[in-house]
Amino acid sequence: MEREKTILINLTKFAFAIIILRCFYLQVVRYTYYRELSNRNCIRTVETGTPRGNIYDRNKRLLVKDSPSLDLVFVPYDIKYPEEEAGILAEIISMDRSAILRKFKNRYGNPFDKVYLKRKVTKEEASLIEERAMKLPGVFLQEGLFRENLFGDKDCHIIGYIGEITKQQLSSYKEKGYKSGDLVGQDGVEKMYDEYLKGVSGGLQIEVDALGHQRKVLGRRLSLPGNDFILTIDQVIQEIAYEELGSRMGCVVAMDPRNGQILALVSKPGFDPENPRAYFKKGGHPFVNRAIKGTYSPGSVFKIITELAALETGTIEEHDRIECKGHIEVADRVFHCWKEEGHGWVDINLALPYSCNVFFGTAGLKVGVSKMLEFASLFDLGKPTGIDLPGEKSGYLPSRYEIDPLNLSIGQGPILTTPIQLLSMISTVANGGNIWKPYIVKEIVSPDGKIVKEFTPSIRKTVYISSESIDILKRGLKNVVLFGTGRQARVPDLEVAGKTGTVQRAQSEMELGTHGFFVCYAPADNPQISLVVFLDNGSSSEAAFIAGRILQKVFVPEKKAQEFQEGDSLSFPPSTGGQDLDVEEGSIGETENAGTF
Amino acid sequence: MLEHFKYLCKDKKLILWMYLLIFIGLLLLFTASKGVFAREGLFLKQCLWLVFGMIIARFVRRLDYRDFQKFSPFLYIGLLFSLFATLLFGRGSGASRWIKLGWFNFQPSEFAKIIILITLSAYFANKDVRKLPVLLVGLIITGVPFFFVLKQPDLGTAFIFIVIFLAIFYQAGGSKKQIVALLSIGVLSSPVLWFAMKPYQQERILTFINPMRDPLGKGYNLIQSIITIGSGGFWGKGFLRGTQTKLAFLPEYHTDFIFCVLAEEMGFFGVILILLVYFVFFKLIAEIISYTADRFAILMGTGILSVFVAQTIINISMTMGLFPVVGIPLPFISYGGSSLIVSLISVVLLVNIKENSLMF
Repeated sequence: MEREKTILINLTKFAFAIIILRCFYLQVVRYTYYRELSNRNCIRTVETGTPRGNIYDRNKRLLVKDSPSLDLVFVPYDIKYPEEEAGILAEIISMDRSAILRKFKNRYGNPFDKVYLKRKVTKEEASLIEERAMKLPGVFLQEGLFRENLFGDKDCHIIGYIGEITKQQLSSYKEKGYKSGDLVGQDGVEKMYDEYLKGVSGGLQIEVDALGHQRKVLGRRLSLPGNDFILTIDQVIQEIAYEELGSRMGCVVAMDPRNGQILALVSKPGFDPENPRAYFKKGGHPFVNRAIKGTYSPGSVFKIITELAALETGTIEEHDRIECKGHIEVADRVFHCWKEEGHGWVDINLALPYSCNVFFGTAGLKVGVSKMLEFASLFDLGKPTGIDLPGEKSGYLPSRYEIDPLNLSIGQGPILTTPIQLLSMISTVANGGNIWKPYIVKEIVSPDGKIVKEFTPSIRKTVYISSESIDILKRGLKNVVLFGTGRQARVPDLEVAGKTGTVQRAQSEMELGTHGFFVCYAPADNPQISLVVFLDNGSSSEAAFIAGRILQKVFVPEKKAQEFQEGDSLSFPPSTGGQDLDVEEGSIGETENAGTF
Repeated sequence: MLEHFKYLCKDKKLILWMYLLIFIGLLLLFTASKGVFAREGLFLKQCLWLVFGMIIARFVRRLDYRDFQKFSPFLYIGLLFSLFATLLFGRGSGASRWIKLGWFNFQPSEFAKIIILITLSAYFANKDVRKLPVLLVGLIITGVPFFFVLKQPDLGTAFIFIVIFLAIFYQAGGSKKQIVALLSIGVLSSPVLWFAMKPYQQERILTFINPMRDPLGKGYNLIQSIITIGSGGFWGKGFLRGTQTKLAFLPEYHTDFIFCVLAEEMGFFGVILILLVYFVFFKLIAEIISYTADRFAILMGTGILSVFVAQTIINISMTMGLFPVVGIPLPFISYGGSSLIVSLISVVLLVNIKENSLMF
């Protein structure tokens, strides 16, 4: 019964003998060699970086690439006079002396690992540092790479930016081979797909002599560049959207309603992806991608849902008419239409273009809150769309007890949606019922040209609505642009269908302006592009105007557009604002009492 | 406390040699915690673990080891749950090995070793292992937790599981033919596994076998570890006077690479001494096994001995480049509460076995 026991003891004898021999070799035979290595602490690791992948738009236009740069680095262990060196460096590079000192004195996992002091120093700075190299032991310049965004801040919310890995990221990314000092994506595609973009950086383990010069390479790891990305973005449309939004705060998103590919996504204010630090403390929340992170009441855009709910439940027939006298009384409250003198007798075909609050309010009362909410959730309002960008907000769809039918019917009150949700909704109307998952990355291609990953359109859900209701709705949306509240979006030779929406800005903000929405698709009978324009502090007709300009530039050849502009009195200077159209929809009674019906 | 100590000392020899190992471990941890990045906390924490472990050991001491035979299915099911929980909520640098319970970082894979060997011994105790179904059930008992820890991924512990299985199976009467067959199935199926793995997993295995593939990570550690050992010389640099470990060349010098601290400060002389202590300790365990007639006790004792032997050999070998670098602690010496508690329980079980065998 002792067989295994003796084997284990013999195994121990055998293994211990080998260990003793090995230790004898290391500790006695080679003692002087290792003693010397240990005394001089002369093993260093040198990282040889690798370029991140390039990012292209759908037509293979280069948007982002890695370019060579000079970086200023230091080895904490070799810094001999931190105070003096920080002083010298502070004069050369634009950095606080105390900030440099803090970096020097930080505790690092390994005091022999290089730490970046400043990336991408200028040639002047580099030559000044070179001149004083003798006074700066432990500090030196190193060739590296920096991320160049060819279109500056135009694509900032799509691409995102890269920055040194944070402590939190480090603890959760460690398994994937990240380490401190690595540059990782902090937002946008750079963050979402960092693993694919970063590649594998190479490195050397070297033995150095007393002066820090390389003597022997002990180990080598080859580098592998990151994968290239092809986006669904069309940089032409992206730039048009960027220009047309101008200096306004807000966002524009364009999507192909036939497959969910995002064609353009602009949110303003933006930031410079090459120097995001400068924007950290700027006002206007430049890092918030309003398209996916901003949540707002949809306002009258929600009337699309109200209309579908009313038609589908049969509560309202196509030719049922209601008289709008400018207001209706419900219980002891007065519910105003945005047009004080009223729209007169309107049916659903006129109510949508005029965005008549009284009509939709009455319809909402008849349909009821639960039915309207049911339709809203059918279109996935208040749910993330699943776009492949980090940090998408879900918004909020209230329960039936939190909101009253009048407010809900015109999209006011505690209902919150992101612009991209409204875009998804209008696209679903445009294509007749498919909710496509919006996406930005089309293909990931390896450095040797193989497709690593291909993203194909996917339908998240299909909404079943009768074709009669869709037809009525689509006709109404066309009329919104033809003669209704969205007239500003008219484009010659192009039929646009859309819906406006205006919402009171949050009470807390001193300035009581409005948010303006415009969602649309074009051409109306064969939708190829759907668009949402959102203006933080602007009217819906201004939003419509911007949408019109974008569609015109995308669809209509330049020359024709000019002719149209010259001969048309409707052309709308954004600076002055249209008097009659500006105050399109009022809210219910007084806003502070909204929700108490 | 003193009474407790006396109680534990009924089998003086084994217990005393164990305490010698624990004492050396605390000394090493003390010197290791005095580096550039002072970590006095580690030393104190390990002392707390020791006290806590002794309380648990006292509780186990009161139990009859044969009870474990009865309870093994429950222990085993509990183990599977906690391993599953580790996969879901686990934490740890690089791999999810720990579950955080308050201030206690619980590492189920340590407890897995002893629970598997108890379950396996209990199952094989009254069966003929030469029968195929018995062998298959035994393989499943080891295999399920094996894949859990492999997924964490904790290659070292997974390897220990294999050792446990082979040791107990062979002791239970498994034929050499069966063992050769098992090993060849393992070797032959490895290419299938290899191609099922993702590139980064393959890379991890390759670095595991040859650390120099990753000269900035594991390869750096290994070179530093060898320099540390070599620089100790014959007599060492003296207690508290090591330079390599103090400068934190090795990130894990208090856990997996604690042997380096000893080799650096106490030299070749210290290495021989510690190997001697381990050898005597193993011999004592082997003695207990050979005086026992109970088959369950023999199997369990063999399992425990195999874990101690395998961990000691692997841990020491890897610090000097004789074995791939894996996360396996040096019994009684490496920092770590779970490992210490499990080792204490193992020794108490052996003492229980010895007492019971003397009664017959």
